[in-house]
Amino acid sequence: MSLNRRFKEDFTTTTVVLMSIAIVINIVGGQLVSMLKLPIFLDSIGTVLVGLLAGPWAGGLTGLLTNLIWGMISSPVAAAFSPVAMAIGIAAGLCAKYGLFKTWWLAMISGVIITVFNAIVAVPIRLYMFGGITGSGADFITSYMLALGKDLFGSVVISVFTANLIDKVITAVLAWGIVKALPLRTTTRLPRAKNVVSA
Amino acid sequence: MAPNKTTATLFIDKDSWLQRLHPLTKLSYILLTGVAAYGGPSSLLYICLLLFCNAVITASGGLLKDTAKALLRVILPLLLFMIPIHSFLFPGNRTVLLEFHGMIVYQEGLLFAISTLTKLTVVLIASFLFVFSTHPADLITALSHTCRSPSLAYLLGSPLLLLASMRERIETIQAAQRARGLDVDGNMFRRFLSLAPLLLPLVLGAIVEVEQRSIALEVRGFKSTSIKTSLRKLSDSALQRFCRWLMLAIAAVVLLLHGLG
Repeated sequence: MSLNRRFKEDFTTTTVVLMSIAIVINIVGGQLVSMLKLPIFLDSIGTVLVGLLAGPWAGGLTGLLTNLIWGMISSPVAAAFSPVAMAIGIAAGLCAKYGLFKTWWLAMISGVIITVFNAIVAVPIRLYMFGGITGSGADFITSYMLALGKDLFGSVVISVFTANLIDKVITAVLAWGIVKALPLRTTTRLPRAKNVVSA
Repeated sequence: MAPNKTTATLFIDKDSWLQRLHPLTKLSYILLTGVAAYGGPSSLLYICLLLFCNAVITASGGLLKDTAKALLRVILPLLLFMIPIHSFLFPGNRTVLLEFHGMIVYQEGLLFAISTLTKLTVVLIASFLFVFSTHPADLITALSHTCRSPSLAYLLGSPLLLLASMRERIETIQAAQRARGLDVDGNMFRRFLSLAPLLLPLVLGAIVEVEQRSIALEVRGFKSTSIKTSLRKLSDSALQRFCRWLMLAIAAVVLLLHGLG
């Protein structure tokens, strides 16, 4: 019962509904990007939004569940990276808590911080589970770095960082813009929106 | 906007003993397999033994063909990248295995790639077993019974219902913005600029709806603590409960040994 009680205090019904919609936005965001043929993922915009509007724990849970659901509807490989998505949500929530989402250029800095968190969690998973290679475009960077004589760890760190930097900065700025554009009657219902809005 | 369509998961409707197992039993099995593959001895023979065990279980559930197909789709791109990259460039490469027009295939890298791939295959088979044989409704029922949390069940279940209508909405928004002259086929910079007018209406519309949805849930007693009856009945037995604990205990022991060794 204690888990239930803690859950109830942290997560109001509004937050829970926001999280479920954010999960859908995460999954659909990837579809939008492939429609526009852009070289980014945009699969964590919902996670970052929940981090901004409802705090780090709600953001982390949103990321985790997004990848678990992804694992059920497309491929279990996504589920292996669920801790990474969780780190993104927590990082975004923490950045917002410390006022790093007040302006668009602060949001860009938050994007870089999120990329660092992302790399800290993603690199071990890539290294130990996948041997550094995941069958994606980032593998070209990894192999280029290996060819230059870097060790596997360094190569994976560089490829994860470069492949995610632009994506996470764009995600952070878009999330900032979305929260700014929300009507007051919605933001007053969400506990942490004032971290972003009252600039 | 009635979410009457459900997004299909990878679930395959068959009536086998795997389908009838309790979802939590299968989840503990994935955990055990993962720990056994990555925390156990690293000899190739041991991994192949695990692989064989998993294949036998899959075959007995009648899912061998589907699993093999899905596995191929995931493993093949990995294989195409991993084998060449590691056998040419793996940092620990010493022993030359093959030389062909200046391209040198090394033994260490090749072995590393093969062992990573087989470990991954073992875990993937176990996860595919779970995904193929578990109806999402069963998983949600099992979780809401064990955690007693309606929120968690809602968070896992509602996205599957919402996805289809959200996908439709994207197409509507895209059509509307193109009619206003939005360029979705221009150069890269233009396409980046058209991201905001597509994404903002979608996300803003969805977030504004949150209030309505949460009121609708509250009115239906979403957070009530009384035990709700479920339409789906999950079969669980004392044996299965025992097996679950046993699998978790073995996984813990393997992890402990791995940590000490």
